[in-house]
Amino acid sequence: MSAVEFAGISKSFGDVRALHPTDLEIRSGEFLTLLGPSGSGKTTLLNICAGYLAPSSGRLIVGGRDVTRLPPRLRNMGMVFQNYALFPHMTVAQNVGYGLAVRHVSKGEIGKRVEEALKMTRLDGYGERSIRELSGGQQQRVALARAIVIQPDILLMDEPLGALDRQLRKEVQLEIRRLHTARPRTTIYVTHDQEEALVMSDRIAVMRAGRIVQVGTGVELYERSVDTFIARFVGESNLLPGTVVSSADGRARLAVQGFPMPLEGRAGDGLRVGEKASALLRPEAIHPHAGGLAARVVERVYLGELVAVRLMLSNGHELWSRRLAGEWSGSDTVEVGWDASAISILPNASFDP
Amino acid sequence: MSGRLALNAFVALVVAFLVLPIVAIVPAAFSAQSFIRLPPETWSVRWWSAFFNDASWRITLFASLRVALLTTVIAVIFGTAAAMGIARSTPRGQALLTGLFLGPVVTPAIVLAVALYSLARATGLVSTVTALVVAHTMLALPFVVLNVGVSLAALDRRLPMAAAGLGAHDLHVFRTVTLPLIMPGVVGGAVFAFVTSFDEVVLSIFLAGPTVKTLPVRIWEEIRVEYTPVVAVGATLMLALALCAAAMSRLVGRK
Repeated sequence: MSAVEFAGISKSFGDVRALHPTDLEIRSGEFLTLLGPSGSGKTTLLNICAGYLAPSSGRLIVGGRDVTRLPPRLRNMGMVFQNYALFPHMTVAQNVGYGLAVRHVSKGEIGKRVEEALKMTRLDGYGERSIRELSGGQQQRVALARAIVIQPDILLMDEPLGALDRQLRKEVQLEIRRLHTARPRTTIYVTHDQEEALVMSDRIAVMRAGRIVQVGTGVELYERSVDTFIARFVGESNLLPGTVVSSADGRARLAVQGFPMPLEGRAGDGLRVGEKASALLRPEAIHPHAGGLAARVVERVYLGELVAVRLMLSNGHELWSRRLAGEWSGSDTVEVGWDASAISILPNASFDP
Repeated sequence: MSGRLALNAFVALVVAFLVLPIVAIVPAAFSAQSFIRLPPETWSVRWWSAFFNDASWRITLFASLRVALLTTVIAVIFGTAAAMGIARSTPRGQALLTGLFLGPVVTPAIVLAVALYSLARATGLVSTVTALVVAHTMLALPFVVLNVGVSLAALDRRLPMAAAGLGAHDLHVFRTVTLPLIMPGVVGGAVFAFVTSFDEVVLSIFLAGPTVKTLPVRIWEEIRVEYTPVVAVGATLMLALALCAAAMSRLVGRK
């Protein structure tokens, strides 16, 4: 049984549709990320789940129970806010213990469980500190401890790492992942950072303009992107524009100017013959190939053990390749190839933000 | 350089103009003479004992304190509730409601006084504590609404949301999160409410009567009959209370 089910949930603010009718199921113990640019509706969906926003239509089922009209306090969900929303007039321990005190847990029990939560988030000994004395990373961990100490049915996180610097963000990502693996808890995580989503999530729902465009594991999104928006948003991509020549049985062919033969590959959703579409070629699939297309190396970017090169093909198209550093060393005049299986023919997203 | 000197001198003059008449009343209260003259020729506290030995002064002082405290309590409760309601409404609603609550401040006091007097007569409330408290609350409410409103505007809206998400019902959220964080505004509003009521004179003259009379009204009546330093004692007492109230709000505001 799914832990959370959004059934036809939508939200409008006046005439503005923030969220189109959306269906989404989250499995028990699953870490699901809502990934999308700002304004895509991901925070709206999260706030509807928490009960801070009432949906304009649809039902929200949690643990088999319809909670659509339940106020936030009765939902038993733990929320980690962007910028944390810690109570500034309370100590760390009072913040973490707030949800327990509200539940009339005994003083001794609160002390014990707060202590455990602080230990779990590596904040032991910080209980009596005031919130203002803490660094951003420590505040983030207090917010997490406060959310999980109540043993929520669902853990909700709204861009919880947005305020941290890059190095710290990576550490906390792994820490959240570690906490989740140690004790899987149904989690909905909101971010606009694709790397964060890939590191932490069991599944990712990519959103755009108030809709979920695709749901899947990181690998599924990367290898079987449904359209050019997903292809661009998840990982790096080369997109060659063209016209669909044929589409059948999950395969399609795309006529691309400058290529003598149409490019053939896995078909995305909803391709129609004669319409514009794009061929997706991931940078790691493009490699040196004797007898391949003639090309010139225009730019080399060293990324440690990898190198990214910008290739100008003789037919005028530009492609990025990312391979082990040794592969593109040597001459700037090269011959390029790719595995036939590496191509996907994808419909152009209605708009690419 | 000389421009700077001139500016300082001008500022000193303005401050003297604002403060001296108020401060001047204090030495007058310690005069030994039977009339107010500045500075007094001889000093004593005879007018202080006269003030506190005269039951009619004592009664009006306590009536003033009673009315001011009741006004403060009522204005703080309703003003805070109103400010929270205003903070939650739409921008247009906020403008409208704030204007409504500021009404009594911008309405000429005499207009309010006449209106309230006729209302009090019709309901038989002239010369009652109730009438005075109701009238003073009208005047004090805007200060609470404004002060609390400022604190609420600075409050992170997600804090009460977080508390509700952790399982607290609305009243508990208010008691444990919202109220402690807007306390500076509430105390500031309370001080303004207290002072507003304590020195209110126009409405009070209309609504007071033989059974209940506030200190400013008694002072007003006294100086129409005779101008003795006992009036200065009453005025000094009022000044001291206002200063205490202001100091209290500063102390809380700094936290």
